[in-house]
Amino acid sequence: MRLSILIALLVALASLGTAQAGEPQPFERGSWAKLRAGHAGQPTVIHLWGLTCGPCLVELPHWGELSARRPDLKLVLVAADPLPQDPERVAATLAKAGLGSSESWSFTDRFYERLRYEIDPAWAGELPRTVMIDRDGKATVLAGVADLSQVQAWLDAQAKPSH
Amino acid sequence: MRILVPFAALVVLASTASAQHQHAKPGAAPEAFTAAPAFAADGTLWLVRPMVDRVAVLRSSDLGKTFSSPVMVTPEPMNLDWGPDARARIAVDPKGGLVVTFGIFQDKNFNGRAFYARSTDGGVTFTRPRPITADGTSQRFETAAVDPSGRVFATWLDKRNVAKARAAGKTYAGAALAYAWEDGEADFGPTSIALDNTCECCRLGVAFAGAARPAVVFRNIFPGSVRDHGVITFRDPATPGPVQRVSVDDWKIEACPHHGPSLAIAPDGSYHVAWFTDGAARKGLFYARADSADAAYSAPRPLSKPDRQPSRPYLLANGPALHLVWKEFDGNKVVVRWQVSHDSGRNWSDARTVAETEDASDHPLLVADRLHTYLSWLTKNEGYRLIPLGDQP
Repeated sequence: MRLSILIALLVALASLGTAQAGEPQPFERGSWAKLRAGHAGQPTVIHLWGLTCGPCLVELPHWGELSARRPDLKLVLVAADPLPQDPERVAATLAKAGLGSSESWSFTDRFYERLRYEIDPAWAGELPRTVMIDRDGKATVLAGVADLSQVQAWLDAQAKPSH
Repeated sequence: MRILVPFAALVVLASTASAQHQHAKPGAAPEAFTAAPAFAADGTLWLVRPMVDRVAVLRSSDLGKTFSSPVMVTPEPMNLDWGPDARARIAVDPKGGLVVTFGIFQDKNFNGRAFYARSTDGGVTFTRPRPITADGTSQRFETAAVDPSGRVFATWLDKRNVAKARAAGKTYAGAALAYAWEDGEADFGPTSIALDNTCECCRLGVAFAGAARPAVVFRNIFPGSVRDHGVITFRDPATPGPVQRVSVDDWKIEACPHHGPSLAIAPDGSYHVAWFTDGAARKGLFYARADSADAAYSAPRPLSKPDRQPSRPYLLANGPALHLVWKEFDGNKVVVRWQVSHDSGRNWSDARTVAETEDASDHPLLVADRLHTYLSWLTKNEGYRLIPLGDQP
């Protein structure tokens, strides 16, 4: 009993110590459902990237530009490195790419099989990866570096009234 | 007298150190979580394990039930490569000498440096780790293996030619497959490049077609940025042969799969490869065989189903048996699946679960002591396990 209180206190202290503006939310078991619920009924683009993924770092500034150009883009960034990364570096990398104000999450559990399974059982963890979810919850996956003209076309399609 | 401590205690020690590390700054310092085994001719099991910022070697005389206290290979803390396909490794030469290889990060851009250390006194002491190659650009995914004549071969992915191309204002895709042979027990000889423009972030698989004839399987970059697998077999120590493509998966991707292949060569000279792909032609984990180095590979056989995240395949030829393991996720647990073949990979036993875990795990590896084959697996919950596989399922 006492131990659990102590642990709870320590966890609370630890999170106080690290909670800074712009730091990613911890992506753990159950986070995918939470993320999805937070955007239910709203067309959303979820971009999975990683600090340990070279092509991702090259691609990020393009997402920053697109984000600035298209206010209708609801972009969520998930750092899905197989090993949890320093949240400060995640935040700093996003800020540098012009994505400092976007919703951001970062994998915190080394049991990445489970986190990937929750996102998509058939996803083996390759990065980058983009999941576009329309207002009906239908997901379109772009594997690898995204062709942003496809993302724009998808955004344009979301703006049209559904029938 | 050697102090024997249960390995579980070491795991607890290591994870306590890790937890303290992490409390200071959560997630600030990713750590390698690997254990690589090798058997000596006398049945001693050697294990190399990164412990936070050191590389440690342990020995077991009772098939992994108990281990000696760790001997540090690295005298000072180092920034060890913790990439998901990187691994400290150990090899035993015919005289019982040990070769340990490991990589470090030189900077925050994942430029690496490959090191090796030697022990000629049965693992009591190790030489100070030295770089495998003089070039300082970047090396990763180093692998050392002992050929049938006892000579140590090292191969890795090297970025020296990327730097050269950049300096000349040119682009260079991927990395180069580099190699060197040990020159006596003193040092590695000069580095040569076997092939330019391989994929840069996947582990390599090494087997021998004979003395001085290593074969290396790797993720290559084929025309059109297609990252499928190839095997190079050396004709002699200094002559890498052509790339034999394992399959046309057509995985066109400008990204980092961090998911390398495995290779075994059976006594009949046949080649066996298992690999992961997410190509246009097929997705998931696959196995194929070829009658020889120059023969075409069979049609890829899928292992498991893509929605079970099958990953990290490993092959080992041991006498008449060919063993294959991989891991997959059933929605709750990660399980290691095992198949064995007694006819050179043409027919395989039904896949059987030989170990499982409910948290983080290293790649499943295979290791042989004479005709006994074992699964070697490090998991967060259970610690290190050496699990006998038998010859028949």
